[in-house]
Amino acid sequence: MPSKVDLEVRRRGIKLFQEKFGRLVKRILECKPPTLVIPKRTLTNTIYDERRRLLLLGPEKLRRSFLDVNEAKKFAQTTLMAAIIYEALINNEYPTIRDLYYRGKHTIRYRDIHGKIREENTWDEQRESDAVIRDIEVYLGILREELLILSKEKGKVVGNMRIRSGGDIIDLSKMGHGAYAIEPTPDLIEFIDVDAEFVLVVEKDAVFQQLHRYGFWKKYKSILITSAGQPDRATRRFVRRLSEELKLPVYILTDADPYGWYIYSVFKIGSIALSYESERLATPDAKFIGVSMTDIFGDKNKKPWLSPQEAKNYIIKAKDADIKRAKELLSYIWFQSKAWEKEIKIFLNKKAKLEIEALASKGLRFLADTYIPQKIETGDWIL
Amino acid sequence: MIAASVPTVREEFKALSPAQFFARYREIAGFSNPTRALYQAIRELVENALDATDSHGILPSVKIIVRQDSENPSHYVITVEDNGIGIPPQHVPQAFGRVLYSSKYVLRQTRGMFGLGVKAAIIYGQLTTGKPVEVITSQPGLKRIYYFKLRIDLQKNQPIILERGSWRKSRDWHGTIVSITIEGDWSRAKQKIIEYIKRTAVITPYANIVFVAPDGVVLFYKRNIEQLPPPSKEVKPHPHGIDLEFLKTLKENKNFKTVKDLLINSFQGVGEKTAIDVLILSSIDPSISPSKLTERDLVRLAETLKAYKRFRAPKADALSPLGREIIKAGLRRIFEPEFVEAITRRPAAYQGHPFIIEVGIAYGGKVPMSSDDGPILLRYANKIPLLYDEKSDVSWKVVSKSNFDWSQYNVSLPAQLIVLTHICSTKIPFKGVGKESVADVPEIEKELRLALREVARKLRIYLSKKIREEEKKRRIIVLARYIPEVARNLAIIASNGKGDKVDGILLEKLSEIIARRTGADPSEIIMVAKQVEVGV
Ligand SMILES: Nc1ncnc2c1ncn2[C@@H]1O[C@H](COP(=O)(O)OP(=O)(O)OP(=O)(O)O)[C@@H](O)[C@H]1O
Ligand SMILES: [Mg+2]
Repeated sequence: MPSKVDLEVRRRGIKLFQEKFGRLVKRILECKPPTLVIPKRTLTNTIYDERRRLLLLGPEKLRRSFLDVNEAKKFAQTTLMAAIIYEALINNEYPTIRDLYYRGKHTIRYRDIHGKIREENTWDEQRESDAVIRDIEVYLGILREELLILSKEKGKVVGNMRIRSGGDIIDLSKMGHGAYAIEPTPDLIEFIDVDAEFVLVVEKDAVFQQLHRYGFWKKYKSILITSAGQPDRATRRFVRRLSEELKLPVYILTDADPYGWYIYSVFKIGSIALSYESERLATPDAKFIGVSMTDIFGDKNKKPWLSPQEAKNYIIKAKDADIKRAKELLSYIWFQSKAWEKEIKIFLNKKAKLEIEALASKGLRFLADTYIPQKIETGDWIL
Repeated sequence: MIAASVPTVREEFKALSPAQFFARYREIAGFSNPTRALYQAIRELVENALDATDSHGILPSVKIIVRQDSENPSHYVITVEDNGIGIPPQHVPQAFGRVLYSSKYVLRQTRGMFGLGVKAAIIYGQLTTGKPVEVITSQPGLKRIYYFKLRIDLQKNQPIILERGSWRKSRDWHGTIVSITIEGDWSRAKQKIIEYIKRTAVITPYANIVFVAPDGVVLFYKRNIEQLPPPSKEVKPHPHGIDLEFLKTLKENKNFKTVKDLLINSFQGVGEKTAIDVLILSSIDPSISPSKLTERDLVRLAETLKAYKRFRAPKADALSPLGREIIKAGLRRIFEPEFVEAITRRPAAYQGHPFIIEVGIAYGGKVPMSSDDGPILLRYANKIPLLYDEKSDVSWKVVSKSNFDWSQYNVSLPAQLIVLTHICSTKIPFKGVGKESVADVPEIEKELRLALREVARKLRIYLSKKIREEEKKRRIIVLARYIPEVARNLAIIASNGKGDKVDGILLEKLSEIIARRTGADPSEIIMVAKQVEVGV
């Protein structure tokens, strides 16, 4: 028996489908050409909202008319995906995006103008059906997680917190050496109680495990999360909910390199590829706590955290790809703040990067008891 | 010093009869070798057969049989039978036995014109095989059929009748059967001969043509139109087309009292006023007797006639164009094209000779693929196919890609495209003596181009309509292909368990929407949609 939250989410999704696609049906019954008006998911239609500090979908709309020979197939694909998701919602299922791909994949057999029988697949690769799912998300203005579509997720969380998920109450402080895998439908999670002062998100799973075993979250009253690399949508949504609903400050700890910075920016303002979901996934208040270039090299009013000898031992020479990526980041307006420009300039200057593991090997204690707490205490972060 | 010895050659003078001349210079008439000769002989007989039918209001039935002589494999017996007007028996020996004897020495468009063709073939046969010609003929209305077997006395240019006879007609037959035996080379000539027969069949859709080849292969082209080209009438010459020699012969005409009357009666387009005008311009008293005209008068008169601008244009009555319907029927009969069009231009003239240009065009169907540099070109002059020297012909100049922008007409070469050109004139300006290619006379070139543009324009309209229709069909199929899918999916969302019913309604409505947009019939679209299988 699905939980109340589950049923509520389903009902909302079903209603949305009936509303939005019902309008289409009505037009058809009136003999008017059916058209889907969908916000455009393109880079040119991605705008950075400076006030809210979010990457958002711009105002451009795409009119997908069934009568346009170039759009007819996409139109049919969209209705197909809609019908499959709709049926899954009705039947209390949790399809994965791969399931949806298989459920919708079939052959259309027709005759061409010369009467020859030809075949065409509704879609051939999952890439295609995934794109259609994204179209449906923007068309309905809802995330696929809220339509109870699953995908492989890898985020983990521990901390002084109890949640309800699928009717079970889970105590995130009693996970042993393991952790709670953030579920693909974070909106079905109910927060019961929390005793924490901040959230620490660590890019690296290995560092997360070390801090967990060290008891960091207990000692510093926090919730510890890892995205294990590029954050997936569920992890981002979960972090966002912690920030928004529980008003907890969020600190992000990544490698000191352009990939680490970008991970931070995805948490904070959203990704270019999925800008339409930033509104529900981004955490605009997230703070980049480190590792920053000035932590390694210092600057005129800051002592470096590493001795010159340590710095020499731990830093890695930047690769060409890193340099290129860094220059790219400079061109994004959300990286065009004083602090970030300084950060990136030092990097380009020194051509050096550093992994968080390096700080841990200087001593886990140093990382857990000195570096992180002091940085939080002194407000040494970048926004 | 005086040259010791200048070899002296005594010149001897002799006369050569026309028959001897052609025996000696047979290549002039196209009989240069056994291959060419076989082809040329068939041509001469076929063209005489067609002249005897279509220019006399008879729908032709022509049968051509080429047989290898069983005794001598390099000898071929050519027999051509027609259902024409026949030949009056008293003229048969001369018509077949005397070079330069013809019924076609008048200003009227026919295939034959020299009075030489069949004799050249007979002489060639006589020289290579020694066999005589056999002729069977009867005219409509005659009660008897006449038979002749004769050879040509080359020296005298006279027939030697070997056998003659006649018998009563048992049925109402008229026509001519001519049979000659010549040395030939079928295997080498085959391709050209078949091409010739085929091309002849293209412009004679009103004729039944049977061709039996020595290897037993039979070609049969069945008549597909019962209409003949308008017969040509004999006309008087146009003053622009004559020369001093012609005036000299005119002067001998004793039928007219005054030069004025002579001019009025000898030329077309010259009335009282024009005659006086021309004569005064030539400083000749219109009222003097023609016999009084001096050599210098004639020279001046010739010059005035050439330069005078106010004659009426040459009459085209002497011409016999095929006409649009016949050309179209002919192209259809051989090529079964998907599109065919033809046009007959209004008469025009060059140097006092009237001419009419006709152009046909055929596209698609069984039309073979052309080359990159132009369409397949079928050239005709006075209904005779021209097979050689295509690239030096004015028609090629006009139709080739370098001079005609086919892409403007929705055609990209190579294409399944044929252009047929037909020039009718009382005088075809052939290049050289070969009678195989037409010189680029500006007036003819211009007419050809105008005619080609006109038919090509019709082709363009056809093709763009076809493209549009295919585009429409393609569009319908692209859209209709997704109707069942969309209908079913939307029915799932929109219905509460009544899926099937909603599905059917949506399918109909979507078909109607597409029909409205594409201008097609809704039932047609429903049919396309219902043929689509989804989920297989
Ligand atoms: N099949 C035929 N039916 C009727 N008359 C014929 C036939 N064949 C030949 N004749 C007559 O014989 C004449 C001579 O024919 P011939 O082919 O020698 O010359 P032509 O056709 O007048 O001119 P050309 O030399 O250009 O062919 C023709 O003018 C025609 O009167
Ligand atoms: Mg002849």
